[in-house]
Amino acid sequence: MAVYKRGYTRYQGALTGHWARFFVLPRFAWRRLLEQRLVVILLVAATFWPLLCAGFIYVSNHADLLLGFDQKMSAFLRIDSRFFVIFMNAQSVFAILLSAFAGPSLIAPDLANGALSLYFSRPISRVEYVLARLLVLLGMLSLVTWVPGVLLFFMQSAMAGWSWFASNWQLGVGVFFGFLLWILLVSLVAMASSAYVRWRIVAGALVLGVFFVLAGAAELTNAVLRVEWASAFNPGRAMNQIWCAMLGADPIPGPNATFCFIVVSIMAALLLFVLNRKLRPVEVVS
Amino acid sequence: MTPVIELQDLRVKLGRREILEGISCRLGAAGAGKTIGLLGPNGAGKSTLILTLLGFHKASGGKARILGFDCHKQSREVKARVGFMPENDAFIAGMTAVRFLRVMGELSGLPSRVALEKAHEVLFHVGLGEARYRAIGTYSLGMKQMAKLAQAIIHGPELVILDEPTNGLDPSARARMLQLVREMKEEHGMSVVLCSHLLRDVEAVCDEVIILKGGRLVHQANLEEERRANRRFVELEVSGDDRGFGAALRGHGAEGVSEGGGRWRIVLPPGVEIDVVWQLVARESLEVRRLTHRRDSLEEIFLKAVGHIERTPHENALPAEQVTNDGRL
Repeated sequence: MAVYKRGYTRYQGALTGHWARFFVLPRFAWRRLLEQRLVVILLVAATFWPLLCAGFIYVSNHADLLLGFDQKMSAFLRIDSRFFVIFMNAQSVFAILLSAFAGPSLIAPDLANGALSLYFSRPISRVEYVLARLLVLLGMLSLVTWVPGVLLFFMQSAMAGWSWFASNWQLGVGVFFGFLLWILLVSLVAMASSAYVRWRIVAGALVLGVFFVLAGAAELTNAVLRVEWASAFNPGRAMNQIWCAMLGADPIPGPNATFCFIVVSIMAALLLFVLNRKLRPVEVVS
Repeated sequence: MTPVIELQDLRVKLGRREILEGISCRLGAAGAGKTIGLLGPNGAGKSTLILTLLGFHKASGGKARILGFDCHKQSREVKARVGFMPENDAFIAGMTAVRFLRVMGELSGLPSRVALEKAHEVLFHVGLGEARYRAIGTYSLGMKQMAKLAQAIIHGPELVILDEPTNGLDPSARARMLQLVREMKEEHGMSVVLCSHLLRDVEAVCDEVIILKGGRLVHQANLEEERRANRRFVELEVSGDDRGFGAALRGHGAEGVSEGGGRWRIVLPPGVEIDVVWQLVARESLEVRRLTHRRDSLEEIFLKAVGHIERTPHENALPAEQVTNDGRL
């Protein structure tokens, strides 16, 4: 029967389970994100560097191609922790850009249009809402971070053989967990920004501002006070130091990885505090 | 029978201010398909009560239950059985109405295919069938109200909470909205809580009503019984010596209270027609300056409950010594 002839009837059938409901939000959010041209362009652009790195791995594993190079060049083409740290640094920029464009569209419109009261009047808690939004960014940013990183690691393992894998497995683990840490921080910044300002464009600018302005402020503090610890407040640099420690690469000058990890954890806690304050179905004016 | 809403000394504090100060009542009966009206002046605590029932605010004392489930401890069970239409704008930006309702349906637990079918079905039901592929952001205020109602009933809840559903609607849309509320209870057996400032809307569709003032429950009335009583209310203003008018009214079974200055509020019992008032006015040699005659009683109840008038004439709550023989307060 045609739907317009059917009339309304109450649904009496079985309801879906808790997890099926939980995945509704990410499912529709991913679909909406992939309808945005800019997000697709960024996702495509983010594949160039991994492809270049894949070519690099291919070349470094074909000795006959290296015969003409001197020792310095051969050392440059070695696949080690330094290679993966460089790869991670480049891809982390794409993660920031993607979160700046895609992140604010997840929460800011819900707040601006009062959609939270609709979500929370259903069997969905605030924590589940945040986790669902986090999952959206986690899924999308994974495509440009640890997924290509781990693929490169396995490509190198396949080409270099079992002995390379056995002696360098911690690189794969470091790439995976290092990127997860980065995704978590970037996603929290994107979500907290959009919860705080509610206006999508401003929230996007705020995401970029947090990373680039903090970086500038940290270096300025270092220069004025003639110290090094302020680098820990540059999220990119702090994470770089953590990655160096996780992958066993030479540390970069500045505060050590433990101090950087503590600072990053404090930043994450502050961002969670903002989300907790702002993501409420109704505003209470005291 | 399980009441739809059961409140036991419910207290809610927001910041340091106590918004609800110990409300107790039992309203409706699960599955009976009744509409409960929630009335009160601004700041009375109506919205706070609704938001507490939905688990958005935590009670500082007492208990609130919906359909037998504790609103705080069993919030998930409550929310699975409730549909909520908020007062303010509430939609997901950039979505067509169909997709918006599908998301809401799936979040309420409908399987994906069923949610899509129900989205179309309910949009036709509320009169948005032709506009269902338009982005909700482009809808007029009245259309948004209907879309909000649609998302509240897409999953066929046992209880629908409507917060000011007729706000911003033109007369025909308002009539349509009230008709939909009536259908929800009469044809689909849903219980409805209707929060509104418009007494006529509440009177038109509600079976029970509670009135809040200053965070307290000041009156609970069964409008069904009031309607069955079929009393008629008359507001009369006369000039002349009206001291014997109250006794004359009582002689005909009617009750009247003088508010001074020749103003009377009169209740005519079933079977006593308005002609009686005219006859008594003529007998007492009074001049009629104004006479309004209505059948409904909610306004009377509301004004009395919030303290704008002292009492309803037929009510015997006041001590006898406060009322003189001629009916004056």
